[in-house]
Amino acid sequence: MSPRFLFPSIACLICASALADDLKIPPPAAPGPATGLADSAALRATVFGTPAKDIAPLPDKVPLLEMDLKLPWARPVPAVFWFDRRLRVWFSAKDKPAPLAIVISGTGSDGNTAKLSTLRAVLYGAGYHVLTMPSPTHPGFIVSASSTGVAGDLLQDGRDLYAAMGEIVAHLPRKVRITDVDVLGYSLGGANAAIVKSIDASEHKLHIHRALMINPPVSLFATVGRLDKLYAITLGNGDAGIEQFYQQLYAALANLYRESDRVEIDEDFLLGAAASVLKTDAQFSAAIALTFRLALSNVFFAGDLYSGAGVVIDPQHPPKVGDSLEEAARVLRSKTFAEYFTRIFAPYYLAHRPNSTVESLIAQNRLDVIGDPLRDDPDYYAQTNSDDLILDSAELAWLKKTLGSRIVVYDHGGHLGNLGDRQQVADMLEMLAGRWRGGAP
Amino acid sequence: MRRWASWLALLLGGCASQTVQFHRLPPETPAADNAADIAKEETLMAAAATVAKMASREPTAGAESAKPELPPRVMPADAPPLTTYDPWGRLNRFTYRFNARFDEAVFVPVADGYRHLPSPARTGVHNFFGNLAEIDSIINYTLQGRLGRGVRSLGRFAVNSTLGIGGLFDVAVKWQLVRAPTGFGTTLAKWGMHPGPFLVIPLYGPSTLRGGIGLAADYGTSYLINVADLYRGAQSWALGTVNAVDQRANIDFRYYSTGSPFEYETIRFLFVRKQLIEDAGLHKAAVPAKSNPNIPAGE
Repeated sequence: MSPRFLFPSIACLICASALADDLKIPPPAAPGPATGLADSAALRATVFGTPAKDIAPLPDKVPLLEMDLKLPWARPVPAVFWFDRRLRVWFSAKDKPAPLAIVISGTGSDGNTAKLSTLRAVLYGAGYHVLTMPSPTHPGFIVSASSTGVAGDLLQDGRDLYAAMGEIVAHLPRKVRITDVDVLGYSLGGANAAIVKSIDASEHKLHIHRALMINPPVSLFATVGRLDKLYAITLGNGDAGIEQFYQQLYAALANLYRESDRVEIDEDFLLGAAASVLKTDAQFSAAIALTFRLALSNVFFAGDLYSGAGVVIDPQHPPKVGDSLEEAARVLRSKTFAEYFTRIFAPYYLAHRPNSTVESLIAQNRLDVIGDPLRDDPDYYAQTNSDDLILDSAELAWLKKTLGSRIVVYDHGGHLGNLGDRQQVADMLEMLAGRWRGGAP
Repeated sequence: MRRWASWLALLLGGCASQTVQFHRLPPETPAADNAADIAKEETLMAAAATVAKMASREPTAGAESAKPELPPRVMPADAPPLTTYDPWGRLNRFTYRFNARFDEAVFVPVADGYRHLPSPARTGVHNFFGNLAEIDSIINYTLQGRLGRGVRSLGRFAVNSTLGIGGLFDVAVKWQLVRAPTGFGTTLAKWGMHPGPFLVIPLYGPSTLRGGIGLAADYGTSYLINVADLYRGAQSWALGTVNAVDQRANIDFRYYSTGSPFEYETIRFLFVRKQLIEDAGLHKAAVPAKSNPNIPAGE
């Protein structure tokens, strides 16, 4: 389901719920930030994405090939992950020689999200072969392509991605002729893309030309700390907050449905309802925090299973096919990114990376591990928004200072709330083509 | 028999061990999809403007008299618990896994092939089965006491079977007779039957005990009525297969695209809540906005 047309529907549905509230008009949304982490406009843009009317021109038809790969170095697949045994990527081929754009998904997402579909369309329309890949934090990637099973380390994930890309490119259909290779990604995928280019600079296997980061984080642990805070402020700790949020959503959905004339809950109803039931900044924040938390549950579960940490999985008796995972899911809902770091990530990497410390692990998960190439190599680019909630002002300043004229910062859009709009796409294509000369945001 | 069993085992067991498998998917149509999204946005905006206009009016005496007709609102405390009743969990998980493997090995490749057929052909097939399903909808709307909807289904069936050439064309929708199928599962819900435990039905997917009974009854009804002798004999298998492929091709869902080990729990959670909300809508239907005396006609 594409959320992009949710944005304008919010007005409609707030009004619809006003009708349900005995024809009282709701007070306007508070203009300032409710959580202190992002303002109302940024939160709404983040949840609803780019309105369809603002999307850049798209081609009529984009061919699509799904590729399921068994990587030679893949680890044995745990029974409970039987369905993730192959790495699944999507490829759209031009029928003449063309540059290849490899696009990496955001946190926890697969290689065929609505955002990737938009990027695929505009890139294909601009003359690229397009390969879209899951995030290294997507369970499908962790199981089929990760060499550790413990996701979230920029360098290790970058190496795994790079190896997977090499294997994929080697197995593309024979008639495909590639003239150049660029790599890009959004959110965490943006940081992954830059790391992959830096690895290629020394390994020269893919000959990656340009890398583009769209709304990237700067410090992984500062960002996830911010998301933990967002969750704690809006949903609290334990199950009580999440239960209350769920009850609010359930009641709002049920009331909307009863007032509608529908026979069943379908996609159109949910599109509108999603916009209606989220009214306050706190609710928007909760929805964002919860989305990231559910992605974390998968990463946490896989990391626990592969590292044998024993947080929710007994290493001696791992779950089998058919076993209930309800209790694990319930426990993981209340686990923070910080706990993932202290209980899974840090113990694993401290044991496997000689001379490392907790501080060094945190430092290695900042974009400044590739600060020099970002500063000196003219083929790194970035696009972000001044109100992106995954960055603070110091991090944004660092990005601007490091990339200079090779970053464009838009005033509004929150986190990815303008991905696919005309300006973002026009600038993206200029950057990837090497025609970017800087410009007013 | 043994040969069939081994073929099936090979298919469901993931027969291909080569490094890469290619699945040619139907091409995406971004421009048309975005145009449709823009149209949806405009519809929603227009509706928003209308509702805002209504909301800005002062309540009148009519509003007070209309109030008692509105049902009590669902309150957050009315929400069912976060946990879901699933006494057949082990069997359900097994069936879910079977369905996922069957989908991957058979349904999805066949549905993808089917989606390469010209659009008018697929629309014709879809309309044809939709038209046959109207018979079940007429019966069940009648059993539910929703005669207006029953008449609408009857009208659709009459128009589409004749002017729509045996149901291949949905002519009725041009006359504002929009398709709204129902079945015996909904009838049981209307009669007050609780959904019962979550149930994953082989090849079909997530349901509940009540949904399973409803599905069986719907098939039984079709078998008994046996329109044009389509539901008995060899042709019923061919018809059932094409119907299943058509339905699958129209559902935008891939098992385990989330990659999540908790997909079963997530689907179960969402499905049962959807069912309960639809039940609440059946039992306490509000006064439709368009017949609300507080809203002037034509708004």
